[in-house]
Amino acid sequence: MHMEKSDILHNLAQAVIDMDITRASKTAVEAINAHIDPYEAITDGLARGMDMVNELFENEEYFVPEILLCADAMYAGIEVLKPYLPREAAYHKKKVVIGVVKGDTHDIGKNLVKIMLDNAGFEIHDLGRNVPYAKFIDTAGELNADLVCLSTLMTTTMDGMQVVIEDMKKAGILSRVMVGGGPISPGFAKNIGADGYAKNAAEAVKVAKGMFQGIQIPLVIKTPELVGIRKNQGGMR
Amino acid sequence: MNPVDEMTPKERMQAILQGKKADRLLVSPLILNFAARSLNLKVRDFCTNGRNMGEANIACFKRYRHDIVYIFSTTSTLAEAMGTKMYFPDDDAPQVETPFLQTKEDITKLKPVNPEKDGRLPVYLEAVKRCVDAIGNEVFIVPVIGAPFTTSAALRGTETFIKELYTDPELVHTVMKVATQSVKNLIDAYVKAGGVPVTVEPIATGSMISEKHFREFVLPYLKEVYAHIHSYGLPGVLHICGKTKRVIQCMAESGADILSIDNIDLKEAKDLVGDKVCLMGNVSPADGMLKGNPEIITTMVKDCVTKASDNPKGFVLATGCEVPIKTPHENMIAFLEAGRRFARLPVHLN
Repeated sequence: MHMEKSDILHNLAQAVIDMDITRASKTAVEAINAHIDPYEAITDGLARGMDMVNELFENEEYFVPEILLCADAMYAGIEVLKPYLPREAAYHKKKVVIGVVKGDTHDIGKNLVKIMLDNAGFEIHDLGRNVPYAKFIDTAGELNADLVCLSTLMTTTMDGMQVVIEDMKKAGILSRVMVGGGPISPGFAKNIGADGYAKNAAEAVKVAKGMFQGIQIPLVIKTPELVGIRKNQGGMR
Repeated sequence: MNPVDEMTPKERMQAILQGKKADRLLVSPLILNFAARSLNLKVRDFCTNGRNMGEANIACFKRYRHDIVYIFSTTSTLAEAMGTKMYFPDDDAPQVETPFLQTKEDITKLKPVNPEKDGRLPVYLEAVKRCVDAIGNEVFIVPVIGAPFTTSAALRGTETFIKELYTDPELVHTVMKVATQSVKNLIDAYVKAGGVPVTVEPIATGSMISEKHFREFVLPYLKEVYAHIHSYGLPGVLHICGKTKRVIQCMAESGADILSIDNIDLKEAKDLVGDKVCLMGNVSPADGMLKGNPEIITTMVKDCVTKASDNPKGFVLATGCEVPIKTPHENMIAFLEAGRRFARLPVHLN
């Protein structure tokens, strides 16, 4: 049966929205067989689906389990398409360093922000959880990062964010900083000198994009290491 | 006794529970690991030693005369006793390091707890007994238990577990059943030790899962837990922090008599479920207790009392979640003083 390109792109998006890993992979194979540009299959198919997931999350129709499973479906599709992508163009993606500050191992919120920013076209460098302050500063410096995202769920570790921001300034690192997490309020974010605050993963995308407004953010070509990380978390497939 | 008070915390709570006249509303900041500070203990030394945990809570009560003495270190203590490995920071609450159920097959190794032997439960039991012996005539000793969904998430790993709500609901129910039995075993042990156990279910918060999943995977087990607590003639208390607007109706259907809530407007909560349950909350732990000052905290306390003191099923003034360990002493004093002032019955706010 011959399928229209628009049908295949639609099915890719729908597989992501439906949290269907198998269908996302199968439809990605169909896209290759139908000679659809793999880059387009990602941007106008899988990533478009994830954009809609973001909207469902904002409207409180989707919650954390849904986002995690939608992301699994998206990455499953990308896995299939990746070998067919041309070598990454030399354009500049905005670099984001993200992690949960030292003393805190709660990382679900951070992982949601990571998924959403990755989908929005940022290059993500995930430092994980319980990250020493210096690690943020060193990595931001080495990569010349555009944005550092700090997360925590606990009141005991929130002051660490201020230490990171101050040490970054002392080290002459100009990356912008966004903070978020359970106990963090916009007021606290402002007091410690953060450039942005987001109350959830959907808002994080808006805030991050707002920071770089007017600067072209290329869509997708996902960071390969992120695909790897999500695969390793496994146990599900 | 605090000079402003006319009753001991225990007399006050008994009066309120029996619908009799009390001098004021209950004032109950969620003092948990913060109690360690009353003996200048690091949190790790507090929560791994029953003597320390008990004596610090006794010292803390003598210092502040708060209405409820909680025994708690982390929501994952029950999962820890069932096999989950924890990470113990030097001066902070323990956190999950490696969940017990690494594979689905590990479920065959999962067993309900023996509270006298497993994990740090003996530490908690000793702390309860010490408090009951020393101050139990004046105040209720209230050990806090991670409820079934929170315990199960800590057993399986939260991300994996909540994805399995879709991909393996049968496994979720299997884990939940064992976790529920563990909760009940622990309730039995705490009651025997003289405590009044309460439960916390933060993983089922409205910012994490949908109401549909709450109804399917959380509510039936909470009902079982509160039926068990009620069989002892004790009130059921359910604490869920974070955003709870979406799930508060379900919380009110669980059989819990008191809902301890965090990130929701008290007036809104009152309008939604105030005819069914007593409400407890919700001064901000971060912006108020930790980062605020006495003036800010007094305003927050007054605001809570204004919104909820006329709740049909009653109101307990509390913090929305755990009092941060580094909360300044003067902020705690400000909370309690404002509470004693504004929550005096009948409530006159000016």
